Amino acid sequence: MSIYIRAIGNISIQDTLGKSSLEQAIAYAEPHVRCIEPDFKSYLNPMMMRRMSRIIKRAVVSSMVCLQEGGIEQPEAIISGTGLGCIEDTEKFLSAIIDNNEKFLQPTYFIQSTHNTISSQIAIFLKCHSYNNTYTHRGISFETALMDAFVLFKTCRIHTALVGGHDEMTPLYFVQLQKLHFWKEQVHNSLTICTGSDSQTAGALAGEGSICFLMSDEENDRNYAEIKDMQLFYNIKGSEALLQQIEQFLNRNNLNSSDIDVFLCGNSGDCLTDPLYHEIHRKQFAHSTYASYKNLCGEFFTAPAFGLWSAASILKNGKIPDIQRLNNVQTTKIRHLLLFNHYKNKNYSLILLSSCGY
Amino acid sequence: MSQKVYVTGLGIVSGLGIGTTETVQALRTAKSGVGQLKYLQTNHSDIPCAEVPLSDEEIRKMLEFSDNEVITRTSLLGILAAREAFHAAGLKDNLPEMLRLGFLNGTTVGGMERSEQYYKDFINPQSDAYTPYIAAHDCGACSEKIADYIGCFDYVSTTATACSSAVNTLILAYNMIKAGFLDVAIAGGTECLTKFHLNGFNTLMILDKNPCRPFDETRAGLNLGEGAAYLVLESEKVVQQREVKPIAAVAGWGNACDAYHQTASSPDGKGATMAMQQALEMSALEPADIDYISAHGTGTDNNDESEGTAVMNLFGAHIPPISSTKGFTGHTTSAAGSVEMVISLLAMQYRFLPPNLNFTQQMHQLSFNPVERFTENVTIRHLLNNSFGFGGNNSSIICSNVNY
Amino acid sequence: MDELILQLKNEIINVLNLEGVTPDDIADDAPLFGEGLGLDSIDALELIVLMEKNWGIKLENPNQGREIFASVKSMATYIEAHKK
Repeated sequence: MSIYIRAIGNISIQDTLGKSSLEQAIAYAEPHVRCIEPDFKSYLNPMMMRRMSRIIKRAVVSSMVCLQEGGIEQPEAIISGTGLGCIEDTEKFLSAIIDNNEKFLQPTYFIQSTHNTISSQIAIFLKCHSYNNTYTHRGISFETALMDAFVLFKTCRIHTALVGGHDEMTPLYFVQLQKLHFWKEQVHNSLTICTGSDSQTAGALAGEGSICFLMSDEENDRNYAEIKDMQLFYNIKGSEALLQQIEQFLNRNNLNSSDIDVFLCGNSGDCLTDPLYHEIHRKQFAHSTYASYKNLCGEFFTAPAFGLWSAASILKNGKIPDIQRLNNVQTTKIRHLLLFNHYKNKNYSLILLSSCGY
Repeated sequence: MSQKVYVTGLGIVSGLGIGTTETVQALRTAKSGVGQLKYLQTNHSDIPCAEVPLSDEEIRKMLEFSDNEVITRTSLLGILAAREAFHAAGLKDNLPEMLRLGFLNGTTVGGMERSEQYYKDFINPQSDAYTPYIAAHDCGACSEKIADYIGCFDYVSTTATACSSAVNTLILAYNMIKAGFLDVAIAGGTECLTKFHLNGFNTLMILDKNPCRPFDETRAGLNLGEGAAYLVLESEKVVQQREVKPIAAVAGWGNACDAYHQTASSPDGKGATMAMQQALEMSALEPADIDYISAHGTGTDNNDESEGTAVMNLFGAHIPPISSTKGFTGHTTSAAGSVEMVISLLAMQYRFLPPNLNFTQQMHQLSFNPVERFTENVTIRHLLNNSFGFGGNNSSIICSNVNY
Repeated sequence: MDELILQLKNEIINVLNLEGVTPDDIADDAPLFGEGLGLDSIDALELIVLMEKNWGIKLENPNQGREIFASVKSMATYIEAHKK
């Protein structure tokens, strides 16, 4: 059975909603960037919106756009990945508990604070009774959600799934992660963050996003790409062991590293975490086009969802935007793309995609 | 693909005590874990809850963590239960190389118990007090603390669907093993009490000031509890390879969304009916094959009516013995599904029915009463476990006795 | 009483985030729940918090709210009689 990306809805810090490729990349010169939001009122009525926080509005609208493109009203599964859930409302409720000494608390902020509110609001909006689930696990939140969908397809439980990655970065959470050295103090040009002077410093650019995919096991001219396989690893000791795992992963798909045309990685311009990508590229994929995507979307727990959008866009359009290239290897025909991300050298994800024409 | 998935180990901590032995003992003697708060510091100390009867310091000592170790109570409880399951399945000394092991955790409050104490420092750019605990706040961090203590996992993930989290991890474990992505999984949930969700449930006005009375006409809400429970699931092949005796087999599951309201369940129990029906169909079982239902049964007006209606929809005039054990453990939220699955499997193993505490009066909407007392010498061939979460996340799972 | 009714309408619009609704859109007698304004059980809980915070009125049972929150007028009447 083959699993395809049928449609996408992408709200990010770039102008991506309803677009299958990026026309004009926007450069930022600040360490914390919020999403470019559509006019929510043109999608949702005020009564519906009144309790929705920012992340819920984004998630519902990116889902709507995705399902409209895919021409499907009711997916057979709704699965979300989110590193922090609805953090804005969590903060409101938490602050109120402390400031009001556990009195006069508003239920809405509590109800909206749970992670699964995202998937369930999408379901309530669609009146969709199908499988519904939510994953939250740091930098692999989106991939663990995708894995759930992947095994549901593989065990023949579903034929379509709406899988999303959703995270917001509030000013208060930005401060907290800043204390843990997540972010650069200064960003000069976000687009060249992986290659320019910004790549010499530690930390990343803080971004956010709400990116949904309609996956389907049906062949269709409009499909973006095929998701051939995926795998996650935990706590691998040493890059040699990681190289071996990647090789095994490719082998189980009857491929080896020379078959990979594009090696699309989670480089964020952080001089502490990018070297692992460089090493894997150098030792295993030197012949492939090496490319980044976080210079477009910034870093957030579900940024790999933007990576999957980028991968799908590259395979559908058959070309790699220059702004994402990290080397000069040219490929005439892009058949296989490997999307690789690691979170703090502890969580690793591999997603193997192939072009539909192949 | 057609391999069976077996349960080979259980671990549990709750208001009833530490481990399966203390749990069975409490069930047998009708000793509830619900009572006055001892450890959680809150202005709502008049609200009864079921706390695990150990302080953080005592658990740290048991697990040999130093005072400096950055770890939250959700992880501490999780380690106690996961360690028991890991040992019970014999994985400590009998773990063949090359197997892929997963730790599939469920939690929603994560490290909130510390965050709510340190929050003002967290968000103050000038303060560096408690900064390491910022990294312990998220749910993934809690799961990794547990995984790293056990120390042999190739895959770690965290499910957060509020009160149905743990059952959803069991479903994921089953699917990942079936699809060949994992050989062995430790799956379940953990959650400690926090001011955050105690106040949250309080704003919803669904906390009973008295011990909760699930499926009772006079019920007036739920009691919160804390706890953790895990099951070891493994493929048929690995069971044979390791030569271990399974406790039960996972027969099937259902997951459906009520898609009705953000907190309330639909009065006709649509999502709940669908979840149970799917589980039965997947297990290729008839309603009459189910010998015990472990209900979600929170004790709220809304849940018990909706769930009870769903059970009547599906089982008609022949409703099997059914009970909610939340009168014992309180509602352990993200851990509830695995806490109740472990209790149900202990019931299957030791041939008893767990009672539904505090029941006196039948609900006028329902045709059935729950199990009223601890009943022995009962054969459970197949059991059905329900877990329902906010937002209509309804999940059901069926386990089968391997001796029948 | 009229003053209280206007205040209540503004508070309801504010607390429940009813964007685009003005006090004039809410008739004193119009039902707040179901038909009418279309509020639901979560809104009822929000109104219970509002009553406690502004007027010191504590409802122990959410079912009490059904009658009290029938309309803005019934709410105002209840507040007049029970405020602290």
